[in-house]
Amino acid sequence: MNARFVATLTLSAALASAAATAQERTTVFTGARILPAGRPAIENGVLVVAGGKIQAIGGSSLPRPDGATTVDCSGRTITPGLIDASFRGGADPADLNEQSDEVTPHLRVLDSLDPEDRSFERARAGGVTTVHVMPGTRNVIGGLGCVVKTWGTDPATMVLNAEASLRIVMGTEPSMGNRAIRGGSVDSMYYRRPTTRMGVVWEARKAFFDAKQEPETVPGQAPPAANPGREVLKRVLRGSLTAYTTARSEQDIRTALRIAAEFGYQTVIDDAQDAYLVADELAAAKVMVLLGAPSAPTVAGTAGADGSDPRFATVRILAERGIPFVVTTGSNLSALDLVREAMFAARNGLDPAKALDAVTILPARLLGIDQRTGSLDVGKDADFVVWSHDPLDPAAVAESVFIDGNSVLASR
Amino acid sequence: MHLRSSLALLVPFVVAVERSAAQELLLKARRIVVAADAVLTDGALLVQQGKVVWVGTDIPADARSRAKAIDYGEATIVPGFVLAETTLDQDADLAEGALAFTPDLRAAEAFDPWDERLLALPALGITSCAFSPSPRNVAGGIAAFVKPGKDRGAIAAAELHLSLSLTGAARNPERQPTSLMGAMDLLRTTFTAARTGTRTGPDAAVMHQVLQGSRPVFVHADTWAEINAALDLSRDFGFAVVLVGAREAGKALPRIVQQKASVVLDTLVPEGRLEPLRLPARLAEAGVPFCFAGQPEKLRLSAALAVRNGLDRRTALQALTRMPALLLDQQQVVGSLRQGSAADFVVFTGDPLDLDAAHVATWVDGVRIAGTDPAPKPAASAASATVAGDRR
Repeated sequence: MNARFVATLTLSAALASAAATAQERTTVFTGARILPAGRPAIENGVLVVAGGKIQAIGGSSLPRPDGATTVDCSGRTITPGLIDASFRGGADPADLNEQSDEVTPHLRVLDSLDPEDRSFERARAGGVTTVHVMPGTRNVIGGLGCVVKTWGTDPATMVLNAEASLRIVMGTEPSMGNRAIRGGSVDSMYYRRPTTRMGVVWEARKAFFDAKQEPETVPGQAPPAANPGREVLKRVLRGSLTAYTTARSEQDIRTALRIAAEFGYQTVIDDAQDAYLVADELAAAKVMVLLGAPSAPTVAGTAGADGSDPRFATVRILAERGIPFVVTTGSNLSALDLVREAMFAARNGLDPAKALDAVTILPARLLGIDQRTGSLDVGKDADFVVWSHDPLDPAAVAESVFIDGNSVLASR
Repeated sequence: MHLRSSLALLVPFVVAVERSAAQELLLKARRIVVAADAVLTDGALLVQQGKVVWVGTDIPADARSRAKAIDYGEATIVPGFVLAETTLDQDADLAEGALAFTPDLRAAEAFDPWDERLLALPALGITSCAFSPSPRNVAGGIAAFVKPGKDRGAIAAAELHLSLSLTGAARNPERQPTSLMGAMDLLRTTFTAARTGTRTGPDAAVMHQVLQGSRPVFVHADTWAEINAALDLSRDFGFAVVLVGAREAGKALPRIVQQKASVVLDTLVPEGRLEPLRLPARLAEAGVPFCFAGQPEKLRLSAALAVRNGLDRRTALQALTRMPALLLDQQQVVGSLRQGSAADFVVFTGDPLDLDAAHVATWVDGVRIAGTDPAPKPAASAASATVAGDRR
């Protein structure tokens, strides 16, 4: 026990010194079991990092560059930095929802992002190096999500995609704040639609209907009056922007699929707790499913269970049916660290390698950032985690986390 | 109402003040700080019609004999402090309740010359201020340059900069915008519409002035996220920005330097965290123009605390006088005691950055409106003889 403690200390000191000039010099991480994501594990692997990028990866026979600093990671496991494709955080919750309107497709959550939000620190501590932040769930169409790393020297360096997605929300959450009379007075902006589930659907359909009706700009002619929100919806209709529809209960998932089919756009189903009840429809629609917090026995958007009934086995069922899915923390307030959610998915029958892929390379592909991150391959960003144990072991902790080759973990 | 009904009674007195302003005054003190980098020892200020007409140790003999001499003895005279942002006691009247976007509103319209907080400024060493729209609205309107007086204040310039706000105070759950991204969208949309000409009217005209560079912009922004948002607007729409508050400016320092932004600081308090207390010294080191502001009662304390935390005295005094004047584009009239500038100055028993230096008097436009005249000197002293001689 004592020997292990000393070894950990030595490793920490070596990592700290490696981080000091991480960007300039070459560092070689040796002796770890490397799980590169998307391909088989490498026992006693070697990972070569320089200039914030992965320079080489392979077995113990991999040649090591002259003058490189070596960090002995014997007994550890190295994985890519984890990617949370539906991350509840990144800003003050009040700044994630623009409540003056129900349909605000053009609002950019990046504008509200607080690079020092505590949720980033917690994510880093759990080995999460990239997150997809979407506007909150209080609007029917909330706005544009962004993909950011969880650490950067400057907020601008964190951004991988400023406009990665459009968030749409089904269910009762968007209608929660609206009342016929709020605070004893009708003289309020919350005196409006929707106050029901059917009203939510009406708002979403009307927005896409109006966007579809509007004529495209003809070169040489005066453009129609500026309507930035409608422009964003048109991008979704053209297929150049992916919709992420948050739909938890069976009926909401069906509705999300129906509206997408009606208007002909691609959507991802976010926080699909009841997906196991709609597997046929999901498979037929060929949509990607985000499963928020597979560990959680209850669903918790701000509307509570919202009619859904989550099951631990959902991820396994999706895998068996060949429905593409990604594990996230989603909007569940009781979500564990992302790595623990992957662990729960594995515990409930998902192949461990697939569980790891579901929080690394699969979300990277979904978000279109797999050229930069999501797996340990030559030329990709040096975003990786040194774990004390296999990451799906309940005792595993992230001993070191690197983003662009910089050690980003605060001391415990 | 009560004050205004007594205006008639005041008229003869106001006339008397006017007359005394017309008289030449020769003010002396051991130290006269003409500007933060120019200090006179045993010099004098010649004041006429509310302006500084001569400053130095070589006042012409005819003026010397003609002017009424006022000798503050061992005291120090410094330029009056300029408060670069305040809503005085009128915050409630400086933000439209239902609308967050009112760039064409003028704070000057809300100005109450009898505002008690305004009339209390001279005793704090403050001789002019930017009376500004409240940061409770995203585009609050246009600030005015106002001065306190003995009985009532006055507007010196009706239109200064446009005041914008990205702080939490501007996000209100009862009207648009409720979020930072909503505030940013509101400003992006309206700046874009003003640029493309798809929006017209008085509000678009003000946004257009900003885009053309003829209307300076102050943006209230405290957190790193808010400061970054303000700098994004400055970059995307090509205007220079003055950040107001900027509590976390230290985190965005490289960008602030790169985009040549300036900073109007908030109150520093001794019990506060070290980071804001050290911020002035860091800004100075990085070459970022900044001034002190915030609560008027703690303006001088803020400067003294900044000095205690590493800021040099010259820059600290500059940040109370010349720098706020520059940021408000009023440096020709206030912020220093050069020939032609307003005779706005403060007398302290010592260096105003030493908190044991007591306030003696404050003069605005050549009239003493707070404090006292110099204490009578012993009859035998040369100084008192001069005063007696001048009185003849």
